[in-house]
Amino acid sequence: MKITLNQVMPFPLASMQHGEHSIWGKHIELLHGNKIMLNASSGKGKSTFIHTVLGIRKDYTGSVTFDSADISQLSTSDWTNIRQRKISAVFQDLQLFPSITVKENLLLKNNLTQAFTKDEIFGFLDFLGIADKWEQQCGLLSMGQQQRVAIVRAMCQPFEWLLMDEPFSHLDEENTQRCLKLIIERCATLQSGFVLTSLGDNHGIQYDQTLML
Amino acid sequence: MIQKLLFRNQDRKQLIIAMLGAFMGITFLIASVHYLIRLNEFGKGSEILGPNTIIVQKKVSNSSSLALTKTDFSEREIEKMEKLPFIEKVKPVISNNFDVSFETADPLVPRFRSDVFIQTVDPSFLDVHSNKWHWKEGDSYVPIIMPRDFLVMLNTFMSASNIPQISDDLAMDIRFKFTVSNQTKKVWVDARIIGFTNEVSSILVPESFMTYGNEQFSLGVEKKITQLMISGKENEFGKVEALLKEKGLESKNAQMVAGRLKSVIGTLLLVVMGISVIAVFLSGLVLIQYMQLLMSKNEYEVRTLLRIGYAPKILIHTFFLYFIKIFGVIAALGLASFFILKYFLDEMFTTGGIYLNTTISMATFIVLAMVYLFFTLASFQTASKGIHRHF
Repeated sequence: MKITLNQVMPFPLASMQHGEHSIWGKHIELLHGNKIMLNASSGKGKSTFIHTVLGIRKDYTGSVTFDSADISQLSTSDWTNIRQRKISAVFQDLQLFPSITVKENLLLKNNLTQAFTKDEIFGFLDFLGIADKWEQQCGLLSMGQQQRVAIVRAMCQPFEWLLMDEPFSHLDEENTQRCLKLIIERCATLQSGFVLTSLGDNHGIQYDQTLML
Repeated sequence: MIQKLLFRNQDRKQLIIAMLGAFMGITFLIASVHYLIRLNEFGKGSEILGPNTIIVQKKVSNSSSLALTKTDFSEREIEKMEKLPFIEKVKPVISNNFDVSFETADPLVPRFRSDVFIQTVDPSFLDVHSNKWHWKEGDSYVPIIMPRDFLVMLNTFMSASNIPQISDDLAMDIRFKFTVSNQTKKVWVDARIIGFTNEVSSILVPESFMTYGNEQFSLGVEKKITQLMISGKENEFGKVEALLKEKGLESKNAQMVAGRLKSVIGTLLLVVMGISVIAVFLSGLVLIQYMQLLMSKNEYEVRTLLRIGYAPKILIHTFFLYFIKIFGVIAALGLASFFILKYFLDEMFTTGGIYLNTTISMATFIVLAMVYLFFTLASFQTASKGIHRHF
């Protein structure tokens, strides 16, 4: 699925001065299977970009298309299908459910498409070093641990694009690399691409495209 | 798992209060609907006059005996009465203006003959279900409705003649005969009893027979209207009674007592039903408000579930199902308590001499289904609106 941004300008950012290389207000194509880094300093609209592509925010001028379909014309069921099977996301604020366990958080997502077995999901947590948190209430985990849970949750569905909004901001280098390994392997399996927003760190990956805000 | 996520940490106090209100409201609502229907049916079919119908005449006083006051009704009086808001209809009771005698004409029954007084009333007042209630010239017999007192009198006569007494059914098989006459001519017309009444003191005949007699055998004297049939509106019998008092009219006591009783209990039940409807409505509203509160408490959860790919219809279904289950439990408990209440109320009515039909009226279930349907629709609407707001 090709994502195209056509002169997109979010209302809250319209009054700001954007750099020459900023994607806001330009024609940008995110090609299927590409690894893309979206680089920007704070307040430039990284989360706005993720939310706009996910159909959460609609306050912008211009248009966003998936292949040739304008996302403003998509129905509720189209969005449900896209969020279940085409685009997965790791939100900056993680958007986990703090009152239920890690297991329940992950199964809640996995139950939608039955992407993995319970053991496989447990295996991901084990690989990321938080298997012992399986039955623990999510809200009691540290931010770094919650970030890893959010990354595993984003894996628990088929997708063509994985949108990640500063997913490693609370992780050390070792855990970041483990997470990246998991993400790259999953993307390779699904032949899908990802967009990773960052404050400038490329985390040692070769990107197909680097975008600026 | 979604249930665990969405319905945890509820403030159950408000839910329990709303459930209690709805439960009580439903119990009293279906009970009042049931008894209102059964009460309206009370007495129907057993008598020939329609519901809330009485025959009235002016009270005979010493002055009327001396012809100082009138005992008949003028056209204007009838018209005025008809215009009253609690009166459904008023019609004169028509009496014979010809000579008529009544006698047995059956070889199995000894001869019994008497000059009689026959009357007819507008068919719209009668609750006669017999298809025999019609007559035209040339028909083999005139159908008649007898005052029950007449059967008592006939049986007294039979007993005195050493003949076995007869039942209602047997009396309906005996052949009778009317002798209709005036000063110049006379005819005999066969008659058959098709029913009995406690409400009218004269022999009732079809209107067509009365018209025939009054036209063909008129005695030439203008007949005055001394009795009226009055049909009052449902549960407004008190006003009819006040009117009778005001106008110096009287009716058979039994008719008045039954009418008054029905009116009083009917009004009471209407009040209970009104309060119950308000209770059900308010508690339904509290339940709906509780649902809105629950959705608003779970705003983050709902929004996040939608963002991770949950379809709105799954979430709507979850909230909707939870609340219609709650209301289902309330309705079932309400129905169960109605059965218990009904057991005691039926006993109470029977002890009080009011023999109501004890089968549960279909309307009870219909009302319950309607309340449930109303709540279901309101719940769905609220859930749908609450979820789509986050999409």
